[in-house]
Amino acid sequence: MAEEQYAHPGVCLFTVLFKFSALGFYIMCSIFIESFVIQFVVTVFLIALDFWTVKNVSGRILVGLRWWNEVDEQGQSVWHFESLDQQTLETLNKKDAWLFWWTLYLTPVAWVALGIVALIKFNFDYLLVVGVAIILNAANIVGFTKCRKDAKKQIQQFATSTLTSRMGNTIQSAFMSSV
Amino acid sequence: MSGMNNIDHNTSSQSDIDEIESLFHISVQPAALEVPRSVPPARKPSSPPRIPVSAPLLPPSFVSSSNQAFSTPVQSGPTPSTGAGFGGGPQYNTLTEPVRETLKRDLLRVATNLKDVVLPNPYREDPGKALRDWDLWGPFFFIIFLALTLSYSATENKSKVFAVVFATLSAGAIVLTLNVQLLGGSIIFFQSLSVLGYCLFPLDVSALVCQVNNTKLFRSLVVLVALAWSSWAAYPFVSTAVPSSRKALAVYPVLLLYITVGFLVLAND
Repeated sequence: MAEEQYAHPGVCLFTVLFKFSALGFYIMCSIFIESFVIQFVVTVFLIALDFWTVKNVSGRILVGLRWWNEVDEQGQSVWHFESLDQQTLETLNKKDAWLFWWTLYLTPVAWVALGIVALIKFNFDYLLVVGVAIILNAANIVGFTKCRKDAKKQIQQFATSTLTSRMGNTIQSAFMSSV
Repeated sequence: MSGMNNIDHNTSSQSDIDEIESLFHISVQPAALEVPRSVPPARKPSSPPRIPVSAPLLPPSFVSSSNQAFSTPVQSGPTPSTGAGFGGGPQYNTLTEPVRETLKRDLLRVATNLKDVVLPNPYREDPGKALRDWDLWGPFFFIIFLALTLSYSATENKSKVFAVVFATLSAGAIVLTLNVQLLGGSIIFFQSLSVLGYCLFPLDVSALVCQVNNTKLFRSLVVLVALAWSSWAAYPFVSTAVPSSRKALAVYPVLLLYITVGFLVLAND
């Protein structure tokens, strides 16, 4: 598989690193660290780092998508979802994109499973951590999925506009030539 | 300012990022495609003097409609970077700079927001506009700090104290924001969360100061001062957001939340 390398190994690494270390720390922390407070703070910090990395770094570099929120002059909240144009989207590395989307969707599943475990064990304190994790992961999922939808819509619009312009040109040239 | 940021050419990701950045602003119409000026066929680690990255900077002023998949370039020349801070906004095209730079910018934003919200400023035009570029990192740190401080000084049940403080503050902030919205308020969800979080700063300070001296009188005084400061800071934001007939309904729960936190600080021994 020599031809399919990761185009951005560093970014991929960080994307995966924070997610896994947050999950891993959460699972293993009670073995190493006594104090719940420290467990909580470190885990939530790792989750926050993961959120920031995925949103600002991985999304832009691996799959060419980004989303953010602005408050405009009238005080209205405006959400922006952007994607690269079609050509560049195709030149992006497939492996990068695969990694990005898979980790994006799988991580909250893992957190939900951990949340159920915590619920069964009646560890309501840990449910707080799981809650924070799920909220942040869900935010990223919603943001990037919306970007993707917009990308698809853009592609369709582009296709129809090209098609109509081309048909228009053909019809015009047909008229001209016949006249 | 933006052109000067392009100092680090040694990372191979620089070229990709520049390419990606410049392509974010290519319009959809095929005829108007600008060839990205920095197209490297191979990833050269040290590229010749690059055309400044300033062109792809996205000033927030011209992105007029929401949910637009592309931002059409209005100006071709370098645009000033006015997007200093929006909730995780698009200014991170300078990703070639190490995380240090981004961190610096984020910290600066937190400091600015803090200053706007908490410090006395009689010339503040419209409090509703002051936290336009909200961010949730500040409130996050303040809540964690407060919970940590209270938990540290608690003699028993440390983890319970931490969990209770954290849960109360976060749930309280969310509920209060919903309250303002349901009263017909015109503040944005995250903006309000941000304000409520930043107004916790005086209580953070008071919790810290209370570590110094354990006498009841001292602590009461400190907490009272902090409470007054917090409420004074939060009041303009909340009151301007709702219609004037509902002002008390919006402000009272905020005061109540801060009084509760004040008691938590006071009662900690």
